[in-house]
Amino acid sequence: MNIGFVIGVFGILILAHATYSTIQYRSYLKILEEEFSSPPFNVVVELILGLVLCLWAALAVPGKFLSIHPDSEENRIVSLPANLDFMIFNHRGRALPTDVNMKLKC
Amino acid sequence: MVGASEEVELNRLENQVDNGGGGVWEYLCLVRKLKVRRSDKVLKHGLSILNDSKKRSKLGGEEWTLYEQVAVAAIDCQCLDVAKDCIKALQKQFPESRRVGRLEGMLLEAKGLWADAEKAYSSLLEDNPLDQVIHKRKISMAKAQGNVSAAIEGLNKYLDIYMADHDAWRELAEIYVSLQLYRQAAFCYEELILSQPTVPLHHLAYADVLYTLGGVENLQIAKKYYAATIDLTGGKNTRALYGICLCTIALGQLTKGRNKEDKESSELHSLAATALGKDYKYRAPDKVSLLTATLGNLKLS
Repeated sequence: MNIGFVIGVFGILILAHATYSTIQYRSYLKILEEEFSSPPFNVVVELILGLVLCLWAALAVPGKFLSIHPDSEENRIVSLPANLDFMIFNHRGRALPTDVNMKLKC
Repeated sequence: MVGASEEVELNRLENQVDNGGGGVWEYLCLVRKLKVRRSDKVLKHGLSILNDSKKRSKLGGEEWTLYEQVAVAAIDCQCLDVAKDCIKALQKQFPESRRVGRLEGMLLEAKGLWADAEKAYSSLLEDNPLDQVIHKRKISMAKAQGNVSAAIEGLNKYLDIYMADHDAWRELAEIYVSLQLYRQAAFCYEELILSQPTVPLHHLAYADVLYTLGGVENLQIAKKYYAATIDLTGGKNTRALYGICLCTIALGQLTKGRNKEDKESSELHSLAATALGKDYKYRAPDKVSLLTATLGNLKLS
């Protein structure tokens, strides 16, 4: 999680730097009195790099992914719950000896 | 639903609690969450918390949930004195509660005072005629008295109103199976598969019922549902693998002579057999010879 977090901070810094360079480039163009057609190549590279790093951080930082496969260990259903709403009490457990000492003290 | 990893966790906690290793409250919570019936253990360990005033006060409001859980467990274990005391404590806290009234009814049931329990439930239903749990208690009371036809009638009436209650559908299916009314049971399982299509155990139960009914068409459908179970469990359900083998052999016997699509079915059969063999080798190596003998016998007969 720590590494992912550092990478995320780094990615945001790179994006901020790309913004700053674009603004600078545009003011430079204004001085030269030229039309803005597209950002310079190094800014585009910086943007892509920032995007990749931020994506990585967004996937790594929040936590583990959960499986969506029905047959994975977390999701595989091995038994149904006992139907407790329909439980009946005159079963064979009645004949078994129970611990007589159990008492609720209060 | 009890998942595979949850089952492992439950067994681990149960072991730990039985050996006095703490984690009792977590165990009781898990039992409640998974709705498993471990009444003897819940009673023993739940009482140990309730009798220790320091531990009990630590639970805060959850204390009353534990009282209810222990009361039901005590009724199930026929420790009626404990149950009575728990219900008394609950009644003191919640004097007008219907939930406590239900527990009293259950206590009467456990004592075998059916008429009194019936009266208690009826008066509770007058208060709130839509209380599902009390309707279910009335049905199970009929079942407990051995009056299965009344239970079926009650369940059918109940399901006319609450069609989405899959627990009730399952109960009805199990009652029908116990009476060998397989067609009716199959209908209930179809309903269950529709409402919970991702639960492999419904597919499995449906396939079992169809296999029991017999006949070429039913066997073919049963095989498909066994295959669906295998699909949903990743091949870790032994019963479904056996089901495939048995269905294939039964089909082979019925369609002797006119063997269409024989090739495909034998492929599925041999795949299931190898999966079974692998599973046995992994989990019970000393029983592999038994398995091969059984499968060989099935093929011969």
